[in-house]
Amino acid sequence: MTILKGLLAAALLAAPAGAALANQGITDKEILLGEIEPLTGPPGLLGVAHNLGARLAVAEANAEGGIAGRQLRLIAEDDGYVNSRTIQGVRKLIHSDKVFALTSLSGSGQAIAALSVVEQSGIPTMISIGPVPQLFEPPRDNVFVVGQTYTEGMRQLALHLAKAHPDKRWGVILQDDDYGKALAEGLKQARNDVKLNIAYEATYARNQRDFASEMLGVKDKEVEVLIAGGIISENIAMVKEAERLGISPVIATFWPGRVPEVLKAIGPASDGLLSVDYVMPLQSAGGIAFLEKATKYLSPEEVARVNRYTMSGYSSTATLIAAIKACEADLTWACTIKALETNPAMDTGVMAPISFAGGSRFSNSPVHILRADAATASYSLVE
Amino acid sequence: MRSGFFKETIVEHIHLTDSRLQRAWILIGLAVLLTAPLWLNFYGLSLVTLMMITAIGAIGLNILTGWTGLISLGQTAFMVLGAYAYAISTETWGWPPLLGFALAGIVPMLASVLIGIPSLRLTGLYLAITTLASSFIVNHLVLEFDGLTNGSSGIFVNRPVIFGYAFNSDASLFYLVAGFGILAILLSLNLRRSRVGRAFFAIRDNDNAARVMGINLSAWKIYAFMVSSFVVGICGALYGIFLSFVTVDGFPFLLSIEALAILIVGGIGSIAGAVLGAIFLVGLPELLGMVFSFFGPEVQSLLATSAHEVKGVLYGLIIIFFLRLQPHGLMGLWSDLKRAWTIWPLRY
Amino acid sequence: MTYFLDLISSGLAIGAVYGLIAMSFAIIYKSTGLLNFAQGEMAMIIAYVAWSISVRVEGNPFIVAAGSIGFAILFALIVERIAIRPMMGEPILSQIMVTIGLSVIFRSAVVLILDGLPHNMAVASGNALVDLGGVRLRVAQIAVVGCLFLAILAMWLFFRGSRFGVAMRAVAADEATARLMGVNIGRIQMAAWGAAAVMSGAAGVLFAIAYELSPALFHLGLKAFPAAILGGLDSIIGSAFGGIVIGITENLVGGYISSGLKEIAGFVIIILILMIRPYGLFGQKRIERL
Repeated sequence: MTILKGLLAAALLAAPAGAALANQGITDKEILLGEIEPLTGPPGLLGVAHNLGARLAVAEANAEGGIAGRQLRLIAEDDGYVNSRTIQGVRKLIHSDKVFALTSLSGSGQAIAALSVVEQSGIPTMISIGPVPQLFEPPRDNVFVVGQTYTEGMRQLALHLAKAHPDKRWGVILQDDDYGKALAEGLKQARNDVKLNIAYEATYARNQRDFASEMLGVKDKEVEVLIAGGIISENIAMVKEAERLGISPVIATFWPGRVPEVLKAIGPASDGLLSVDYVMPLQSAGGIAFLEKATKYLSPEEVARVNRYTMSGYSSTATLIAAIKACEADLTWACTIKALETNPAMDTGVMAPISFAGGSRFSNSPVHILRADAATASYSLVE
Repeated sequence: MRSGFFKETIVEHIHLTDSRLQRAWILIGLAVLLTAPLWLNFYGLSLVTLMMITAIGAIGLNILTGWTGLISLGQTAFMVLGAYAYAISTETWGWPPLLGFALAGIVPMLASVLIGIPSLRLTGLYLAITTLASSFIVNHLVLEFDGLTNGSSGIFVNRPVIFGYAFNSDASLFYLVAGFGILAILLSLNLRRSRVGRAFFAIRDNDNAARVMGINLSAWKIYAFMVSSFVVGICGALYGIFLSFVTVDGFPFLLSIEALAILIVGGIGSIAGAVLGAIFLVGLPELLGMVFSFFGPEVQSLLATSAHEVKGVLYGLIIIFFLRLQPHGLMGLWSDLKRAWTIWPLRY
Repeated sequence: MTYFLDLISSGLAIGAVYGLIAMSFAIIYKSTGLLNFAQGEMAMIIAYVAWSISVRVEGNPFIVAAGSIGFAILFALIVERIAIRPMMGEPILSQIMVTIGLSVIFRSAVVLILDGLPHNMAVASGNALVDLGGVRLRVAQIAVVGCLFLAILAMWLFFRGSRFGVAMRAVAADEATARLMGVNIGRIQMAAWGAAAVMSGAAGVLFAIAYELSPALFHLGLKAFPAAILGGLDSIIGSAFGGIVIGITENLVGGYISSGLKEIAGFVIIILILMIRPYGLFGQKRIERL
């Protein structure tokens, strides 16, 4: 028994402390980056697009000669949007594949779940799929969040709608999770500035498919401005129900579902759908330039899957690569994190310039309002 | 030549170990397990930890499904209850972790009484149906009572501090889980050889005969359900600590199916089978990853984008494969091998 | 009042979808005592295949209908022959686990083989709107209610009149005796699976037209489950009724109480029904004799 105890004590003492990893993932020829996101099924709509963006940034940097003669290589792990798999995948990327930096931590719930593993290791990490306050408040030294919170997006959207459609009856349909709560909070903040007349409110359970009773409530309360707080399938269902019931309120949605596939699935009824986003639409000048770049480095099938997540993924990965580049002489985590903080703002043309000045770990990107066009299944800026 | 291993008295039959050789093997196994943090890397260690947590859940379900013959699709629900009971009591109310673990077992146990009373009066598939329903209802209740559960935002769970020792490192968490795993195995081994375990077996094998022997069917079924839920609740709490974060999203319904699949793959009704099944099914994605990497980068990159789906298909195929060709699971395979080894070169 | 009528009609439309799938559960349960946990997944696969056909024939409804019915039958027969038939006589847990294994395979296969993305399914005027005295419904929603009544009628006639239907009832009543009378159980099981696939396939395809096509369609199976329990797992026509009750209840709960409760209303009904009438509203009480 004493032998066992001795072994136990030895094992506890020998447990490695996780610090001495500061320049892992770097060989003479390459620098290894890793990311985790859903790559299959409906959540793959965003994960795959994000992965394309990150790969685009990597391909572009490699075409320009890489970093100090080293080529960048990106490993992507699929977590299928399941928290436990995100944690396992992140552990694998950090401790088994030994990547130098992480370019995505999957969606918001997954990122929160994996945060403690990432924080303990100290690896530089970019998060751009689900930017929620829990990820940057309080700021973690090595975790950088690119984008804008749903709360602020909702607030701006509400202010815009209140100005464009004054004195209307509003309806709000939200999801029963932190996403829905963030939107509710944004709406509350907007009500500090403008008076809103919310006639109908509903919170649906996730995975709900049939929105008949909610939209009947919208019809019954004669709602004229509807906040559709679904993600993908839910918004499709809500807009199609509105079409069936013959009501045509102004419908506003959010960036998580701002992908062409949603407009295509809704059909003609998607015309005029409003959305809010911190990423430029594909039809803007920046978007067109981005597509050209994508055509250069990606296959045609891949270009067809480009959407807003490609742009945000590209922007955050390019920001990270610029920071690594600034550390050519001293390829360590500490230098990269320092460079992310001090580098000049990164302008990719598809988002407002990204910077983490002043110790902030959040890019706080400004949002704009977009309108959908059903014929081309695309969005354009509203001003 | 040894032709088999025979037990002649009931005392021999209920002994936990039956030979020196077996005790030696158990000691070697324990030594390998306890020194694992010395020779495993971070990733391997967390994989083994996950395997042990899953095995605890499978051992719990085995009491209900393997021994008493009742199907439960509510593994997820009891894990959620256990995880939240632990998280709320230790994080929100500041209870000591050991009390938290006790509550993590007791809350699912009480829930199982509530669910069990209407469904266990009946024979057949009714428990599967009510437990399926309960896993959706539990998720809804967790989201509804957000004052207590923090709703969809979830609760962060710190690593426990027990008797002044903080289980902060991955290695210490490994030992904590291993400790619970050994406890679960001992509990269920001792249950199996007691009057209680024999009553469960009697109900599974022939409920009418069991009733004739004086076993109150609905009461004993509920006892089985309670014990099972207690262990599954502890598994949920450990899983919450492992994830360091408890939300309903962390416990997808697939876990219920996975737990049943583990029992089938391992060999239903056997404790060692539950452990083997957990090792096999949790390790399967890693194994597949290795197999894929043999085919070179092309196949690997082709499969990288749909690895999850390929795994899903194989996962389902393995369940069906075992049910059809090896219904006694890995344990059945093992005993076939053992017999073949003993009586070789004869065939039977 | 229109609000109430609207809720009822929407509930009827979705309830008919649940009803068709619940009938599929019931027909398989009645003829073989097996719960097919992959029924919702089968509906999803058939809907995706129908969509693949529809984009190639520009939504010609006859080709889509014929193609998807043909596929549904073929698919069910293959699944039954390969996975289910060899399990006959095995313990019920094993049989159920096979269907659960199938459901995992189908969910992954739809993403692997088909694309698994949400789509707009345009079949002829399935998406068009019809005004029925102030209540607006999509053609596909009316069609699904029609299908349900057709299925009820067909089942009723089948079990009453046809030799095969009587044989099926005999198997349900007493399998051993039915076998001794020369009933071929394998064929009964094949017929049950074929009929179930056609009914749940119709529900899946029409749901995809009226609502949305996505891999999450398999959730319909989970929703139809309470319907089958409510109606009585061994009562096929009762299950159809159960579907409509669940659909309308969901909409009334969503309309008058809360949206969040809507999704679990069916599961709460299951627990209640098992406390009061465990064999369902129309099911037969099982009396065991030793």
